Amino acid sequence: MAVLTVNDLCKTFGAGTARSNRVLDHISFDVRGQTFVSVVGPSGCGKSTLLNIISGVETHTSGDVSVTSDEGRPARLGYVFQDPRLLPWRTVRKNMLYVQDKDDDQARRRVSTYLDMVGLGQHGDFFPGQLSGGMQQRVGIARAFAVEPDLLIMDEPFSHLDAITARGLRAQLQDIWAQSRKTVVFVTHDVVEAVELSDRIIVLQPGGRIFEDIPIDLPRPRRQSDPAVATLQAEVLARLEKMKAITPQAATAV
Amino acid sequence: MARPVIEAPPTTPAGTWLEGEELARRAAARTRRKRLALLVAGWAAMLGIWQVAAYYLPFGTLPNPLEVSVEMWEIVASGALVSDFLASVLKTFAGFGVAVLIGAPVGYLMGRYGYWRAFFLDGVTVAGTIPALTYAVLSLIIFGLSNLGPVLAVALVSTPYVALNVAEGIRGVDQNLVKMSQAFGRSPQQIRREVFIPTIVPYLFAAVRMSFAVAWKVEALTEVFGGTNGVGFQIRTRYQLFDITGVIAWMALFIVFMLLIERLLLRKLEQRVLAWRPEERAAR
Repeated sequence: MAVLTVNDLCKTFGAGTARSNRVLDHISFDVRGQTFVSVVGPSGCGKSTLLNIISGVETHTSGDVSVTSDEGRPARLGYVFQDPRLLPWRTVRKNMLYVQDKDDDQARRRVSTYLDMVGLGQHGDFFPGQLSGGMQQRVGIARAFAVEPDLLIMDEPFSHLDAITARGLRAQLQDIWAQSRKTVVFVTHDVVEAVELSDRIIVLQPGGRIFEDIPIDLPRPRRQSDPAVATLQAEVLARLEKMKAITPQAATAV
Repeated sequence: MARPVIEAPPTTPAGTWLEGEELARRAAARTRRKRLALLVAGWAAMLGIWQVAAYYLPFGTLPNPLEVSVEMWEIVASGALVSDFLASVLKTFAGFGVAVLIGAPVGYLMGRYGYWRAFFLDGVTVAGTIPALTYAVLSLIIFGLSNLGPVLAVALVSTPYVALNVAEGIRGVDQNLVKMSQAFGRSPQQIRREVFIPTIVPYLFAAVRMSFAVAWKVEALTEVFGGTNGVGFQIRTRYQLFDITGVIAWMALFIVFMLLIERLLLRKLEQRVLAWRPEERAAR
């Protein structure tokens, strides 16, 4: 069953004015439960706008977006941002409890479970300022998983980290995802990262159309050193080169 | 903060986070000891100059430190200290209370909404520029010989500080944290409690500490002119008796007492509330 349905979605900033700018142009796709979908594309292709509309932070001009839960209650969303966005005056554990709907034993157990999963089980009583950037981002990931979201939205969560830390976190994210099987929409500009993590890659092109929808059918866990992963990464990159040839605006990006 | 003269020397790098915390604590202790030594030297120099001045000035103009300390001890022993200090402190804090009650909401509005900022900014700025003495005189004219004069004077002096600092604090709220909270479906009340108020607290402490330095002087000054009890009242009584030793003794006790309140009470409270800040942890 589809958890996220996007149907004929359009978004125009400043509609009806001289500066009218269409960033999403009749986008339709849906995401089935327990899949990991990446949205990639050059900067300015509308990735962030799409996320903001899905999360309800931004309105759309026309079309439909719906997130459904399987239990009939309102759908719960989880977020991982580019930066950790932790309350500096609360400990790691309190930060994670802050976004829980109820502060009960179950919530506490979930918080502990996911903290252990990201390897920070011993750091629950630390303040964010006492952790490194990579550790803080791991808290951000654990926080999002711990709300048991129907849809987990990740907005370039590793783009502010150094390459080695990011690689470690990608491996960890794969492990957590394999255990929890949450439905994820993962936005990135990094094709290599998208191939390593996703079941499917939606490529947006400048102007806000879907250029291609690529299934990634590789066994998990995937590691970057795996030749099959590398081959597929090269193949997807080659397809994006094609996009550059068709849409000149994209040539400077990707 | 850079304190070049008494900065601790660099230490060997720490292996783990806990070791680092331990090293930082030890360095802080070393720095504290050096600071204490300099503090003692400063006091000794000050008392020395006072002693010399008292010796050379015409008899009766300036009592020496020993005479003043004897007088101070007599004031403490007589019990007058407690009642009059309590009166002054209560008036100061009552004034503060009024300042926070008025200044904090005004500051909140100023920080949150552009229109209210435009409405209040000039008024608050002007109120903050008026000399404290003017407020003292004004309060006396309004209330005459009464305990309300000093309270009003303190409130008038402190309100602009509180308003401006709270406004600054609200403007400093991290919008990313607000967006994060909204994305996770937190209610406006939760966001106010978990994001806005913790952001303002350091600014509120800064406001109270900044205005405290001025407020207790204004409070005493207003008591000198129109108090019916309190430290300022005692200083005036001694002045009318040409009792310079008494004037200085009361003044010295007042300074000691207010410094104790500022250093011990306010500072400790701040450290407790702001324990999450790295600089507070290092100082502990």
